[in-house]
Amino acid sequence: MRTKATAIGAALAALAVLCAMFATSASAAPAWKFEGKSLEGTETVLGGAIESSMTIPGLTTKCENFLYKLTVENSAGTGKGSVTEVPLYNCTTNSKACIVEKIGAEKLPWASKLTTVSTTPYIIIEGVKVAILYEGEECVLGETLVTVTGSAGGSIDNSKETATFNSSTLSASGTELKALGQKIEWNGLFPTEAFQWHREQALSVS
Amino acid sequence: MQKHRTRVVCSALLVVALAALGLAGSAQAKLVGNYTRFAQCPYTNLEVKKCLISTTTSGEVVLGSKKVPIEKPVVLQGGTLKGVEGYAKFVAATNGITLSKAPQNVPGGLLGIVPDASSPALVKALIKFFLENSLTGVNSTLELAKPASEIVVSENNLAGEIGTALKMPVKVHLENPFLGKNCFVGSSTSPITWNLTTGETSPPAPNTKIKGSVGLAEFLEEGRILELKGAKLVDNAWSAPKAAGCGGILSFLVDPIINAQLGTTTAGHNTAILNNDIFVGSAAAVRLNNEENP
Repeated sequence: MRTKATAIGAALAALAVLCAMFATSASAAPAWKFEGKSLEGTETVLGGAIESSMTIPGLTTKCENFLYKLTVENSAGTGKGSVTEVPLYNCTTNSKACIVEKIGAEKLPWASKLTTVSTTPYIIIEGVKVAILYEGEECVLGETLVTVTGSAGGSIDNSKETATFNSSTLSASGTELKALGQKIEWNGLFPTEAFQWHREQALSVS
Repeated sequence: MQKHRTRVVCSALLVVALAALGLAGSAQAKLVGNYTRFAQCPYTNLEVKKCLISTTTSGEVVLGSKKVPIEKPVVLQGGTLKGVEGYAKFVAATNGITLSKAPQNVPGGLLGIVPDASSPALVKALIKFFLENSLTGVNSTLELAKPASEIVVSENNLAGEIGTALKMPVKVHLENPFLGKNCFVGSSTSPITWNLTTGETSPPAPNTKIKGSVGLAEFLEEGRILELKGAKLVDNAWSAPKAAGCGGILSFLVDPIINAQLGTTTAGHNTAILNNDIFVGSAAAVRLNNEENP
């Protein structure tokens, strides 16, 4: 009789631990917050990369103006969103031979979601597709369309209200961008700022 | 008068000497550094936009039931014209060797493709002679079945791992003294057409999808040259005609034996897997390199 009570007690304890684990997991799913309060409805976040570059070994492409428009919302307590616009201007390469004739984001919107990687909030952007047409008589990629595809994870710094994308954040979030059939390096530092209902309010993710 | 004539002759000689020097300078112009590999690219043709050299270092060609591993490097080189809707026509290498002839050993040798047991008496006797004289090795050499201009390259597809990256009409030359000099699978009128991809194939059954890859890309010379290391080009949806011209005057006897040995060579029964190191260069950059190094 005592054994049965012990067994039931152990099962309940196990259940309690499981519940606690799920509760922790649920609370760990980050959400968009303004002035510390969870976002209700949707908001538009606009920004431009403070710096951004994409490197295939031997050739780096930079864009002076790498803007983005992100619509965000919380769904079941988890931050989600979609990148709806990514205008790219004044893009150059580190090569005297190659110029960027055309560059453009394709297959928009790109879905995004928030997650946590080792206690750091991350934004994951999925379905990224950017087509780059290089030109230049001496450029080997002249008339060749290079397409960057994949997903990218960037760490969010709440104190600076920025998202940072680099090889470490892509690796930590299990994401990768590919061009010419291989993983490429992408560095980007993006400010996060609401532009619609929560303008000038502190944006955080937790 | 004499003095004037001498002056004219001297001037003419000087012009000739200068012209000769100029010609010598032009002849001595050479490619240096990373550009040397494009020596056979027809870059002096201003219509040529890209130079290409692709060395197949390994892989295999499966023709029906026969698999021939690629053990000796095969080189495809030349230039490409401006692309039309993403596809550029090839221009032959300046030395005429657009596709190098590298004989590959056919496993099983002569008996592998002309088995003693199933051959008519005359063929059997001949084979016996070749076996006794150790002439049993058979080589398979890939050759272009049509002019180089029939080769088509899509750099976008090559880079994007989708669609046909390299379309090439080829024929397979089977070589052995018994087979004679004209034993081919494929011809200029009925070539084997490879639609090689770095992406995924969609072959008819019984073959199944296989994947190629663009390999490791690296830009050299500040974006003037692209190296694709370990690029895997594949096609397993091609068909091959019957072998013909094998055994010289006995081809009417030998061809059927070889074709029986090859088995079905319709689409879905053949495979080409080519592992390559590919270099693509801007022809303008190659020209400039040549001019800068007299």
